[in-house]
Amino acid sequence: MVEKTWAPYCEKMKEHLDQLSLVRLTQWQGADIAGAEHSAGPGGSGTVQAFTADKIEKAAIARIMAGDAVQYGICTIFPAEGFDLPIYFSRWEERADSISILVDLVPTVDSLVDEPYRKKYIETLGPLWDKYSNLPGMAPEENDAVRAVCSIVYTAAVIPIEREGMRLAALAPHTEYLKKYLEFHQSAVPVEDPQKLQEIKRKIAAVKATLRDYFKGALAGPVGQGLGAGLSEQLSDILL
Amino acid sequence: MARVPFNDMIRFTDELLVTHKIFDGLELEPLNTYLGMDTQPAWEYKTPLASGFYKPYVLKGSDKIDKITYGELHYMGRAKYCALNFTASDDYDLPIFSCEFDESAPRLSITVDLMPVVDIAVHPEYREKYLDPLKDIWRTYRTLPGLTKDGRCHVQRRYAPWPWARAALSPYPIDGRVEEPETRLAVLDAVVAYARVWLDLMKKAEPIRDPAYKREMITRKRAVQKYFRELDPGGEVIKKIFGAEKQKLFVSLIF
Repeated sequence: MVEKTWAPYCEKMKEHLDQLSLVRLTQWQGADIAGAEHSAGPGGSGTVQAFTADKIEKAAIARIMAGDAVQYGICTIFPAEGFDLPIYFSRWEERADSISILVDLVPTVDSLVDEPYRKKYIETLGPLWDKYSNLPGMAPEENDAVRAVCSIVYTAAVIPIEREGMRLAALAPHTEYLKKYLEFHQSAVPVEDPQKLQEIKRKIAAVKATLRDYFKGALAGPVGQGLGAGLSEQLSDILL
Repeated sequence: MARVPFNDMIRFTDELLVTHKIFDGLELEPLNTYLGMDTQPAWEYKTPLASGFYKPYVLKGSDKIDKITYGELHYMGRAKYCALNFTASDDYDLPIFSCEFDESAPRLSITVDLMPVVDIAVHPEYREKYLDPLKDIWRTYRTLPGLTKDGRCHVQRRYAPWPWARAALSPYPIDGRVEEPETRLAVLDAVVAYARVWLDLMKKAEPIRDPAYKREMITRKRAVQKYFRELDPGGEVIKKIFGAEKQKLFVSLIF
């Protein structure tokens, strides 16, 4: 019997994130998060790490194993206050026969009204969005609330795994979007306009609230129970 | 692939008004002037290349409607470019109902949606109130052959060359291309279902009370209208056929 090999989602994401000169976070909003970095429950285990960096409020990577049936991966990057960088959001749900993916640079303004922002951060991802429209199982993100915060260039799919090489191929959208994010990060400069800063702050708070609800719903099921109370309760706080 | 002759193409407005009776119970009143323009030239037009109509209305005795327009442009006996638009007045935050239903022999291209007039990431309650009623309909029709093909679902992709247009869409657009005659009829059913959702929301709509929210809403609504009126490639075709003046009138009525 051949042992199944999970795709190295977290390792690949971390490899790229390391370009940010990350500083590990052990506390977040007054709470100790170091203790939640590794957790194991009756039906699974999890690892989550959070970091900060120049121009970045928080970058986090999580890996959750639901028994030996599913590997979940999440990676989030939120810009520091004062910067208009989008939010990087990547979700990975890997099973023996399929991988469900979502990756996006979520806008931090109304990208319909703010045309310069859309052209700078969103439309430049157009070629990647086009490229990954050919992914097998390409489809809109299923969660309505999450889809509603996504940009016009998000990539989502439920990719059937017909041969093992497809697991690695499914990682490409995540790493390619992340590379673009890192390019944007390099050239990001502080926003001077107080009204725009207010808009960004309000939007980031709203996106976090939507994602918090989404994680809460996901963790209310077997995934959360499997993780054990420690990590399950803190996961949203660490990721968002 | 079945090619559909012009005479067998869907009679869009007849289907909506006569077969499906979407406006039954509503008293429509002709809108004779729109944005300072006399609408009369749009009610019926004919040139050597194209003929058709765009008929704009308001609702008698109601302040809720900016315009309700339906229309068809028949091009050289080859194709029909049909439109349906419901836009609320600025005192209401109803989404813009927009439908392009363009039929030619090899295919039907469709976009039907309730376009939000606020940023729904910031206002999730707006999505819940005005857009989530579409969720089941969207999940039903997005699987139609052509919209879903070879295991890939292509909705949210028809406007691929126009990012500004994609940015205007809700999370529930039915957009794409279908080919077979029975699928074309199913797409018409989707249009009817979306129209009924909007008309139902309109009946229950209350005026906006928060001035800051209203300013935000109008900013986005004007941006959507400006994009579609100035950049929609269909507008260029209309300009070539009818000239700049009529183009301005027609595109303002269609969107």
